[in-house]
Amino acid sequence: MGRLHALASNSSLESTIDKILKNTEATILSNIKTALVDSQKVLDDSIPKLEGEYDKIIADGKKEADKIEKQIIGSADIEARNKQLMALEDAVDKVFTKALDQVANADRSGDYSNLIKSLLDESTQILGTSEIIVSTNTSDKDVVQSNLSQFPGSELSSDTIDCLGGIIAKSKDGAMTFDNTLDARIDRLKPLIRKEIASKFGVGE
Amino acid sequence: MTVEGGVQYSKIAEIKGPLVVVDDVENAAFDELVEVETKDGERRLGKVLEVGNGKAIVQVFEGTSGLSISATNAKFVGKVMEMPVSKEVLGRVFDGLGRPKDGLPDPIADKFIDINGEPMNPEQREYPKDFIQTGVSVIDGMITLVRGQKLPIFSGSGMSHNLLAAQIARQASVVGTNDDFAVVFAAIGVQYSEAEYFRRSLEESGALKRSVLFLNTADDPAIERIITPRVALTVAEYLAFELGMHVLVILTDMTNYAEALREISAAREEVPGRKGYPGYLYTDLSTIYERAGKLNGRKGSVTQVPILSMPSDDITHPIPDLTGYITEGQIVLGRDLFRQGVYPPVNILMSLSRLMKDGIGEGSTRADHSEVSNQVYDAYSRAQEVRALAGIVGKAGLTEIDLKYMDVGDIFEKEFLTQATDENRTIEETLGVLWKIVSKLPKNEITKIKDKYVDEYYKGE
Repeated sequence: MGRLHALASNSSLESTIDKILKNTEATILSNIKTALVDSQKVLDDSIPKLEGEYDKIIADGKKEADKIEKQIIGSADIEARNKQLMALEDAVDKVFTKALDQVANADRSGDYSNLIKSLLDESTQILGTSEIIVSTNTSDKDVVQSNLSQFPGSELSSDTIDCLGGIIAKSKDGAMTFDNTLDARIDRLKPLIRKEIASKFGVGE
Repeated sequence: MTVEGGVQYSKIAEIKGPLVVVDDVENAAFDELVEVETKDGERRLGKVLEVGNGKAIVQVFEGTSGLSISATNAKFVGKVMEMPVSKEVLGRVFDGLGRPKDGLPDPIADKFIDINGEPMNPEQREYPKDFIQTGVSVIDGMITLVRGQKLPIFSGSGMSHNLLAAQIARQASVVGTNDDFAVVFAAIGVQYSEAEYFRRSLEESGALKRSVLFLNTADDPAIERIITPRVALTVAEYLAFELGMHVLVILTDMTNYAEALREISAAREEVPGRKGYPGYLYTDLSTIYERAGKLNGRKGSVTQVPILSMPSDDITHPIPDLTGYITEGQIVLGRDLFRQGVYPPVNILMSLSRLMKDGIGEGSTRADHSEVSNQVYDAYSRAQEVRALAGIVGKAGLTEIDLKYMDVGDIFEKEFLTQATDENRTIEETLGVLWKIVSKLPKNEITKIKDKYVDEYYKGE
């Protein structure tokens, strides 16, 4: 009796287990189906999103590449230009040095005396007096001295100055000085002379 | 440029602050350039401020420290201060007086131009109406800069105005034209580290080749600052009106300029005006700001973005106050936004570009630009009101639409205002973000945009 009861109970247990298994299987299958549909939907939705992201990455990359290209070209341009400027300056300096050498060694006879006279003339006019003390370099001393007689009240300083040529005129009270040496005149004109020399090299025309 | 030099005077009557009074002077002229020679033979530049009764008052740009009455000479050069200009100045770095600071020789000059410039004939002025893209969304989208405009940035001590200035200098461009574009950048009394940042930033971005830098650092004599904006503008005018380029001039920091002006005024014992600044501060500032513009029949333009730090963030301080009278609007940086870490911290509610309306729209930016910008301005203003209300009643007491406006305010600050310092947004990208903000609002709240634009760009609901 007890055995029969045990058999009946086993079969009902099995059928319950079967039922549960079937239900679970159906739920799982349905869940898988839903998940499949959901994942398909997510996949479909993400394609345009991905395409958008992809386009953005490409656009950002292109932007970055453009930026880097600009940086490289900009730096290279600047570097090349700077080297060109230095080379040009070197050339200008060489021309300048040569020209200054020629001025320093120029013949002190003939027209040079007229130049000194005009420098003295200009200096006395600008200072508003011929009561001046004139300084010059060793090689111009004689030429200046010979011209001073035309400027009453002027005298030559015993001290010489270091310059290419020309004079420095100082009022006798020491309040005013006018630098009319060739060096000062060249210095004032230097930017224009540099431009002139540079144009010979084809720059700034 | 003349071959004649000037007379050197050795009778110095007085040295007072940045001024030297020279005695027994004949034939000196107002504004004439003066070379002041120290006993060591060092030469400093200055200019004549006043002449009369045999005296001349000379303002020494490089300061008077180390000068003595007995051993100083003043040479009156016989001309006003001039800046040598040519296309070669592009890509160069100069000091505050226009002397090379990059280790390269002086540029080969095409011309020598008086740094005080010539006033623009009002009759010849052309109304500015062409857009300049800065790549900074808040400026391009809501406070648009126009070629020939003068649009200052009002900032405060320690705020990110210099980062913004450098970003504008790197990114600014003219769109829809092949005309040449150049940036003239004048740093006035900035720290050495800032000056280096400007130089490096332009060098590394490749923007230096179209830029000219004038750097007057904080340790340079204050008086030099009077000259820096003028040499910068002289170069800008040459590039614009002689070479036909569109030139953007950035002047930072104009407060340092005004401080230098105050120093000179005090030394001259002039009657002080507000906060000790001279009574002619307005007139003086106008001689700088009014050098922006476009001229009829000339291709180029000079656009100015002067930057000034307001002492104690006080917008009623004489410098921003008088600047605002002359310029065509202002970009105001907000301390609250800056503290929140927003960059650029532009307070759009206090900012305005008076010429924006003429520089945007169909043919320059996009037809919907003005309307979408107005709508966002309105929404952000409402968001600020709601934030204030929430501070009193709490978020729970707000209506649904109030909460939407709060969100709009947050998105505006996080996505539109906030931008990386190296992020260069096109105007289309900027308008795209503006529409993203508008799309957060319900359609019935959109009252400032025509339906056709809403249909085309609105992406909400």
